[in-house]
Amino acid sequence: MTLLDSWWDLRDLGHAVAAFLEWLGDRGVPSWLPYLVSTLVGLMALLLWALLSQLFFIWAERRLLARIQVRLGPNRAGPFGLLQPVADALKVLSKEMITPRGADKVLFWLAPIGVVVPAIVALGVIPFGQRMVLADLNVGLLFIVAVSSTATLFVFLAGWGSANKYSLLGAMRSVAMLISYEVVQVLALLAVAVFVGSIRLGDIVSWQGRYNTWLIFLQPLGLLGFLIASSVEVNRTPSDIAEAESEIVAGYHTEYGGIRWGMFQMAEYIAGFVVAATVAVLWLGGWTLWGLEEWVPGWLIFLIKLYGVFFLFIWLRGTLPRLRIDQLMGFAWKFLLPLMLLNVLLAGLEMVVWKETEAPAEVVLPIWAVGNIAIGVGLVVGWALLMGHLRPRNRPARSLLVREVGQIYYRPLEEV
Amino acid sequence: MVGEPLVINVGPQHPSTHGVFRLKLTLDGERILDCEMVMGYLHRSMEKLAEERTWTQNIPFTDRTDYLSAMTGNLAYCLAVEKLAGIPVPPRAHWIRTIMAELQRFASHCMAIGTFVNDCGAWHTPLLYMMREREKVLDLFELACGARLTTNYMRIGGVARDLPPEFLPRLRELVKELPQRIAEYEELLVENEIIVARARGIGVLSAEQAIAYSVSGPMLRGSGVAWDLRKANPYAAYEQVEFDIPVGVHGDCYDRFLVRLAEMRQSVRILEQALDMIPSGPVQTPVPLALRPPPGEAYGRIESPRGELGFYVVSDGGPSPFRFHIRSPSLINLTPLPEMVRGLTVPDAIITLGSIDIVVGEVDR
Amino acid sequence: MTGVGEVAAFWILATITVGSAVVVALVRDLVRAVVALVGSFLGVAGLFILLSAEFLAVVQVLIYAGAISILMVFAIALTPRSARDNAETAMRWLALALALAMVGLLIAVATVTEWGPQAKEGFQETASAIGEALLNRYVLPFEVASVLLLAAMLGAVVMVRED
Repeated sequence: MTLLDSWWDLRDLGHAVAAFLEWLGDRGVPSWLPYLVSTLVGLMALLLWALLSQLFFIWAERRLLARIQVRLGPNRAGPFGLLQPVADALKVLSKEMITPRGADKVLFWLAPIGVVVPAIVALGVIPFGQRMVLADLNVGLLFIVAVSSTATLFVFLAGWGSANKYSLLGAMRSVAMLISYEVVQVLALLAVAVFVGSIRLGDIVSWQGRYNTWLIFLQPLGLLGFLIASSVEVNRTPSDIAEAESEIVAGYHTEYGGIRWGMFQMAEYIAGFVVAATVAVLWLGGWTLWGLEEWVPGWLIFLIKLYGVFFLFIWLRGTLPRLRIDQLMGFAWKFLLPLMLLNVLLAGLEMVVWKETEAPAEVVLPIWAVGNIAIGVGLVVGWALLMGHLRPRNRPARSLLVREVGQIYYRPLEEV
Repeated sequence: MVGEPLVINVGPQHPSTHGVFRLKLTLDGERILDCEMVMGYLHRSMEKLAEERTWTQNIPFTDRTDYLSAMTGNLAYCLAVEKLAGIPVPPRAHWIRTIMAELQRFASHCMAIGTFVNDCGAWHTPLLYMMREREKVLDLFELACGARLTTNYMRIGGVARDLPPEFLPRLRELVKELPQRIAEYEELLVENEIIVARARGIGVLSAEQAIAYSVSGPMLRGSGVAWDLRKANPYAAYEQVEFDIPVGVHGDCYDRFLVRLAEMRQSVRILEQALDMIPSGPVQTPVPLALRPPPGEAYGRIESPRGELGFYVVSDGGPSPFRFHIRSPSLINLTPLPEMVRGLTVPDAIITLGSIDIVVGEVDR
Repeated sequence: MTGVGEVAAFWILATITVGSAVVVALVRDLVRAVVALVGSFLGVAGLFILLSAEFLAVVQVLIYAGAISILMVFAIALTPRSARDNAETAMRWLALALALAMVGLLIAVATVTEWGPQAKEGFQETASAIGEALLNRYVLPFEVASVLLLAAMLGAVVMVRED
């Protein structure tokens, strides 16, 4: 990136900001002003991006789900229905906000705000490009997890403060799930941190760039665990039990209407973006694409990866039914957690071996990649077999066909 | 640790009660201690209203009891009145009735399975797949009688009018297409890990209980009792077609779901045979508009998609029924619900309710 | 503390921390008290950042604001309704005395302690230093704490097991 580092270099919008700050500095302004300006510019850019992406994905999700479900989806407002989210947003803004009688007014008011803020704050450490990051904290990975975890409390408060039993059930469910899956999530991230030896997101990306590989090949098991845990965190099927429509209406935000409800939706989308961004940074090489980032803007590559991961969630939503809460909790504790622990152990062992033998990366990494993929598949299948998930059914998935009436074929279902 | 029991009202306005129906669940955490059903939100006093209308005028009411299966409602009522008044039905009308009843069964099971999977949490995808085929069936109904949902097609002594000429070719096309579609549903749903995990062993109703509650239809067959009025007490043209009765083994939600899927296949099989065997001829025995059946009583029953749908009619020789009673399968199939869900969790109760496949219009009438 | 910014940040964060703590003590509704407590935790996390202890700050948010608070609301949600409010009890005066004694102790310690020189070389990573310390010098206390937690977990499992 030496050729064009001037402000008009679109490959990294950070250059423009840097050039602007330099220009400010040349004017002899106080030293805190460039700092403030760059923070504000970054914040504005992030918020703008988050909102525009959200609007786009509201449309995209509805259209894609419609295609999955052999429908057309919204296609009236604007070309291809592109203005539909705008219309939706206007509708949501103009709706009355009702506070139910008996609700805890302070908590009821606080919850939607408290849910959105962590999601937006977590965006701050996401590196969109080499220099396009608001704050490249050296504990960035942990920061994302920590900040996201605070949203859980506000989800609970929303359910608690609504004075509605569905909300309360949804709140209890979501809290129980989130604390279970947070463990899985952190362990999945830990394996990556062990591999790279840093929890600064910029380092993780440049590590992948340096070795010309993506961590998806080296840490497939971690990605699996993280994706599943994240689908719980962003409340998407098959794990949307906190707002399971067919059971508890809308869970913790049953009583919310108008823009307060919109805030919950926003939080959900932005949390989804954070998750997708984390996957893109950690496992898919962030803004790098094997040298192509010299020609194509890195942030574009990153966004494409991010949206691709987000599309996966939409796809899942259109495909899968929902699990029951005990099944989901059991899955976290009995299935994912042991696998993630083994994965961390494996990552640690591999790094130690690599350090000790001092073998070149070109030899070690392919071996680890093949080994980890094989071990990952083996562990998932083996563990599933052991837990009885893939056990051949002791009954055929067909009903009996009989010709005569009058017989009784009932047999009590033996304990499975 | 003993928590305070939490009483929660599922309904009357709830995404999963399939209408206005209320379940009062007493919960400990998510576990159901007790379940009380509150019905009557959709009561329209049909049985009483019918006593004020002529025998023929009552046919539209039978559309609106089980509004997802209007044809079978028509058929059961017409059978009862024909039995009461001793009116013969021409053979072609028998076959048309069979075709319509089976098409209706297919359409109704589409809804039943679709909403059941929806209750399991699928975000409408299987339901909308099935809606696609249901739509084609409804198109055929529209072709035959002009209406899609409340068909009002059967008449005492036959059917309202003969099938239009393009009906049978289009039906033939549809029948050719349907087995692939059913295979598609099976591929999507039957082995689905999540559906199996959610529905197996949930909402178990033993054969003994099922008989004791006089449950009928797919629910009875799901509990392993081979019983089908189309074979046990044949009506219309069912004696002349070949089909099997799908029977479950364990009586859980998953079995009921499988039985419905298999019944869809059997319906297509019946339709295939009907296409080849339907004779030509008149479709209605002339019946006076102001029919006055001789004093007496009759009970006409059929196997509707939901179970034994019976009409008990009493005539005092007048132009309208003296008594008009509907034995609605939805209501009776619903009665074992508290026993089925006690000790399960809220999501289990929802899918159990979904697997019973009620139509609230028929529960409340 | 060097710049105006740091001083301002310190006072803002200190106000948030102490103010929230006061709210925790005063508010009657326990869930609201937990919310205020989270505010206090976040304020402390901010103070950690001000001290360049960014790892501690993040861990503070993750564990206290994210996990401990959840544990508390869970405990509240599972308590019978009657025992839920922050009622006055006979222990009030004892608690006040203890709190005052604690404040006195803290002030005494703060005044007696010789504070080390301020970090001049600016921002330094603390995560690796904490890791080194935990796994070398303090490995025994670290392991003892782990065993203690494990024992607590097992105890909890045994207590709630139904049989």
